[in-house]
Amino acid sequence: MDLRAGDSWGMLACLCTVLWHLPAVPALNRTGDPGPGPSIQKTYDLTRYLEHQLRSLAGTYLNYLGPPFNEPDFNPPRLGAESLPRATVNLEVWRSLNDKLRLTQNYEAYSHLLCYLRGLNRQAATAELRRSLAHFCTSLQGLLGSIAGVMAALGYPLPQPLPGTEPAWAPGPAHSDFLQKMDDFWLLKELQTWLWRSAKDFNRLKKKIQPPAAAVTLRLEAHGF
Amino acid sequence: MMDVCLWWRQPSRMVDNRRTKMSPNFRWLLSVLTLLHLIMQINSQKRGVLRDLKCTTNNLQVWDCAWKAPLGASHGTVNEVCIEDRFHSCHRLEKTNIKIPALSPGDHEVTINYLHGFESSPSKFILNEKNVSLIPDPPEILNLSADFPTSTLHLKWNDKGSAFPPHSDAVWEIKVLRKPSMELVKLMSFNTTLSGKDIVHHWNWTSDLPLECATHYVGIRRYIDCHHFSGRKEWSDWSLLKNISWTPNSETKAFPQDKVILVGSNITFCCVSQTKVLSGQIGKTFCPLIHLHGESVAIHIQNISVSENSGTNVVFTTEDNVYGTVVFAGYPPDVPQKLNCETHDLKEIICSWNPGKPTGLVGPRNTNYTLFESFSGKYVIFERFETLTNESYQLLFQMLPNQEIHNFTLTGRNPLGQAESTILVNITERVSPRTPTSLKVKDINSTVVTLSWHLPGNFAKINLLCQIEIYKDNSKQELRNVAIKGVEDSSYIVAVDKLNPYTIYTFRIRCSTETFWKWSKWSNEKQHLTVEAIPSKAPDTWREWSSDGKNLIIFWKPLPISEANGKILSYNVSCSSHEETQSLSEILDPQHKAEIQLDKNDYIISVVAKNSVGSSPPSKIASMEIPNDDLKVEQAVGTGKRILLTWHHDPNMTCDYVIKWCNSSRSEPCLMDWKKVPSNSTETVIESDQFQPGVRYNFFLYGCRNQGYQLLRSIIGYIEELAPIVAPNFTVEDTSADSILVKWEDIPVEELRGFLRGYLFYFQKGERDMPKMRSLESGHSDIKIKNITDISQKTLRIADLQGKTSYHLVLRAYTDGGLGPEKSMFVVTKENSVGLIIAILIPVAVAVMVGVVTSVLCYRKREWIKETFYPDIPNPENCKALQFQKSICEGSNALKTLEMNPCTPNNVEVLESRSIVPKIEDTEIISPVAECPEESEADPENHVVVSYCPPIIEEELANPAADEAGGTSQVVYIDIQSMYQPQAKPEEEADIEPVVVAAVAGYKPQMRLPINSAVEETAAEDDTDKTAGYRPQVNVNTWNLVSPDSPRSTDSNSEVVSFGSPCSINSRQFLIPPKDEDSPKSSGGGWSFTNFFQNKPND
Repeated sequence: MDLRAGDSWGMLACLCTVLWHLPAVPALNRTGDPGPGPSIQKTYDLTRYLEHQLRSLAGTYLNYLGPPFNEPDFNPPRLGAESLPRATVNLEVWRSLNDKLRLTQNYEAYSHLLCYLRGLNRQAATAELRRSLAHFCTSLQGLLGSIAGVMAALGYPLPQPLPGTEPAWAPGPAHSDFLQKMDDFWLLKELQTWLWRSAKDFNRLKKKIQPPAAAVTLRLEAHGF
Repeated sequence: MMDVCLWWRQPSRMVDNRRTKMSPNFRWLLSVLTLLHLIMQINSQKRGVLRDLKCTTNNLQVWDCAWKAPLGASHGTVNEVCIEDRFHSCHRLEKTNIKIPALSPGDHEVTINYLHGFESSPSKFILNEKNVSLIPDPPEILNLSADFPTSTLHLKWNDKGSAFPPHSDAVWEIKVLRKPSMELVKLMSFNTTLSGKDIVHHWNWTSDLPLECATHYVGIRRYIDCHHFSGRKEWSDWSLLKNISWTPNSETKAFPQDKVILVGSNITFCCVSQTKVLSGQIGKTFCPLIHLHGESVAIHIQNISVSENSGTNVVFTTEDNVYGTVVFAGYPPDVPQKLNCETHDLKEIICSWNPGKPTGLVGPRNTNYTLFESFSGKYVIFERFETLTNESYQLLFQMLPNQEIHNFTLTGRNPLGQAESTILVNITERVSPRTPTSLKVKDINSTVVTLSWHLPGNFAKINLLCQIEIYKDNSKQELRNVAIKGVEDSSYIVAVDKLNPYTIYTFRIRCSTETFWKWSKWSNEKQHLTVEAIPSKAPDTWREWSSDGKNLIIFWKPLPISEANGKILSYNVSCSSHEETQSLSEILDPQHKAEIQLDKNDYIISVVAKNSVGSSPPSKIASMEIPNDDLKVEQAVGTGKRILLTWHHDPNMTCDYVIKWCNSSRSEPCLMDWKKVPSNSTETVIESDQFQPGVRYNFFLYGCRNQGYQLLRSIIGYIEELAPIVAPNFTVEDTSADSILVKWEDIPVEELRGFLRGYLFYFQKGERDMPKMRSLESGHSDIKIKNITDISQKTLRIADLQGKTSYHLVLRAYTDGGLGPEKSMFVVTKENSVGLIIAILIPVAVAVMVGVVTSVLCYRKREWIKETFYPDIPNPENCKALQFQKSICEGSNALKTLEMNPCTPNNVEVLESRSIVPKIEDTEIISPVAECPEESEADPENHVVVSYCPPIIEEELANPAADEAGGTSQVVYIDIQSMYQPQAKPEEEADIEPVVVAAVAGYKPQMRLPINSAVEETAAEDDTDKTAGYRPQVNVNTWNLVSPDSPRSTDSNSEVVSFGSPCSINSRQFLIPPKDEDSPKSSGGGWSFTNFFQNKPND
């Protein structure tokens, strides 16, 4: 969770860059059509930024959950959080994913995670926590839009949400408070894993699609992370 | 048998008699004893026949009597039981017990007779109700249920009260057992009264251990205390145990779940697990595990502390999983504080309060508040997910029409409890109106305006009290209260009077109700200029005749805004005499004077000010000036910015007095300002911002008569006197050898800046370069001051001066404000011819005398001189020895002297000895000379000129001890003194002076004696005879050894100041002789020039 001061400025600068370029995401701006390369890079940058943002949010939220959730070696078995989309996948399976499936999985996972996060936001008892969560939700919404942009640029259709799925993702009151906390813990953990995975996914996609020269410059841009 | 009965009866009678007095216990004890005794009697009578007749009842209706069969009686033996009651019934039966209806009180004989196999010996018992035990049936548990979240058991049973007479007391005992050891965790009893009907009873119990964690069993028994029954009463048997156990589901394994408890209480958490539980912790704290059954464990928390926002986590860790629960420790809500209800508009009531101490519970467990109004029965609920910090809570309550009195109860509730506070308000007395809006001002006339504003609210039934703030430039704000009948959501209008015309007012308003509670906020300000009115007063006028006396100039002062009542556009000036009235043209506003050509007739001038509405009343003034012959100019000085003028009352002055003033340096007609004073006054203070200190003003006091004004007094004065800014110009009219005549001029009035009080004249000897200011200020004794207080005096002769001396003259004027600057001048008096002549003649005469004496001496001693200086010298060529000498002399000196003896004449020896004597003296002199920095010890030849070390003038000037005032003239003194007064020696050189004295004590050239003797007379009279004249060279060795470092130097006469020391001439100090009386003065008088020069300045 510790972060050097220099890094935060780099992050901020990168976020500004990302947000500045968001309106120019290729999905929304097809006229120029510079190909999906830049939008993949932006999506990759956004995942890295969200990773950083999640680190600070998770610190705050785990402290809110109280010990032992905020203890570094707390690693409970995953119970009850079965509804959360799992990020972990067999390496061979991951390698064999095609671009469409890869992007679809990302998109679906973040849609669900976002839905879950909003439920988390509704329950948080302090205003400060709610503000942090809302801020993160906005960023995550941005990532979702970004992935949608990449999919559109590559010509893949967006996965349609199943009717009636939405409420199932909303945390129900049937849980005990402790199980709810466990779910929250796992939500944050899954989110973290998903962001790692997405970074890998988009890096792979980027390498696959972008010409090498462009990749060099954009990698440099992302170096701030 | 009878005696037995009698025995039985008697005590029973006794018991009967005392029944009323005995306590139930005692009776019970007595009955037991009696029964025992009875049984013993029976046993003793019928050995082995019939024993232990025992009767019980469970419902008081039927007695169940049983006995033990006699030994040997087999089953099926028929016996006959006869009871001696009302019917004397007998029963044949084969059992050893019999159920009989309850017998009436009193003894009954029971006869049991075995019919077969035994001899027919009937056993007789006396049966009494007292011998019967009441043992009720065990109660039956109707239902046992559990509320697991609260760990509460609910027990339900029927008391079967119909079986017993009403009003019987029932005691219930309930036990709770816990698996696995079936330990008793709770035993409690409580009393009820039976009503004669079957009643279902409830009992709740909350377990400290969550019910999920262990199976709990409950049993119950009873004890019936029936007052009509005199027999023994005993506890029933325990009912059948009923148990409560939890059927585990897959998710939750730690208990209790999500419990809210009071901070500081104790709580037990348990975990139901199939695998081994490794640890249990609350928050960060690990707790010792308490084993329950199987692998289930519990932890016990004492004095739990307040939880964080998300609750305190309790976690049990097993080998493969983590189970947990959350507990919320907090406080019940505090009593709502500062509950206050008010309304802004009589439509909606706002109740606000402070929640008090925080509960520590947030989110769904946060305190929710209900505001309940008891008269209307309406309520509103306040729910907030989040706890507000440092903020008061408030709720809106819609008012019902026509309800004024409200009784509010605010109840705060959370899972731990509730608290409430109440307030009874008449809402019409708690009105805090909203801010008035749309404030408007309209003119009615020049002194009255109307204010209108809008105030939202349903005030139709009450009166409003509004406060209008009226602010006028440069004056204090004024507050006026107005009471208005309230209306509903409407505008209000009031008139504001007593305003000044043509004045800018700023209005704002706030409102309350007649039954004051709170003011509303101030409305926005509204500025308004009232309309004009005619000027209320005539202008203040004065008139002056022009310098040529032909024109009369009318002056008037502009009207103050409070009297002008508008913008003054013009003035009308008219003059009227007895014959005619002459109106002059209008004079537009900024001009406040008019010039009229008039003859010296008596005219009345009138001035009228006009604004857009009308004209002021006329101001009239007579043109005529009544002459006053008896007029003196007086002087007056004010204080600060004001000046006080007084005069005697003059009954002739009928209208008023006028004081006018002007700057005296201005030309006529001069008028700065005037002031009118009522005719009964005799003094006034003139005050004006125009007055400046140091400026002379003329004040004229006029008295007013019918015909005109008469000048009564003329005063010149200053507001404050200052020192003159210039010095008087002065010149030297005449100079003689001993006097100077000085003449000066007046200082102009503007530069005098006060009334001249005199002059100060300073004079002092001094050259132009001398620092004169310092000497003036320090009041040096040399400075002479003359204070000239006669200011008409313009000349001054200064006498008794020295001739040919430079004098520094300074003249200053002074006023009461202080001394002015100085003007200085240097004047040299004319030469004193007599003194000059003496100064020339005396040295000439002395020189001539010295010459004559020398000539005479030389003449008389010519033989001796010749012998001394020109002896006969033998011719060396005649000496043979010298020839020999020529070759020898280059070897050894000893040889030379040995050889010279025979041929050297005595004369040569004399010459050599004389050259030695000065050498010896010189070595002595060297020591003091060493003090002279210029002198070199290594140069003994210089000693000859030691006595006259030339004075170094540059060094004397640089000497800090020398008076800087000395200047070049001082240099002259130094020369003279160094030549003639070597005795001026610094005191600090006294240490080395004895050496000099020692030297002086030896040989002295006689030509020095006069100098030394003259000095020594004053310094050390004892030495005078020793140094005077020639002295033989006694004790040469003694003085030869003395050196400055020698201790002997201190033994010498230290009082003797060194004189004639060569060093003293070169000394850098005290070369100017001190002027005090102690300084050595030449007693020789006559011949020294030094005395001449020194004495003169002291004249």
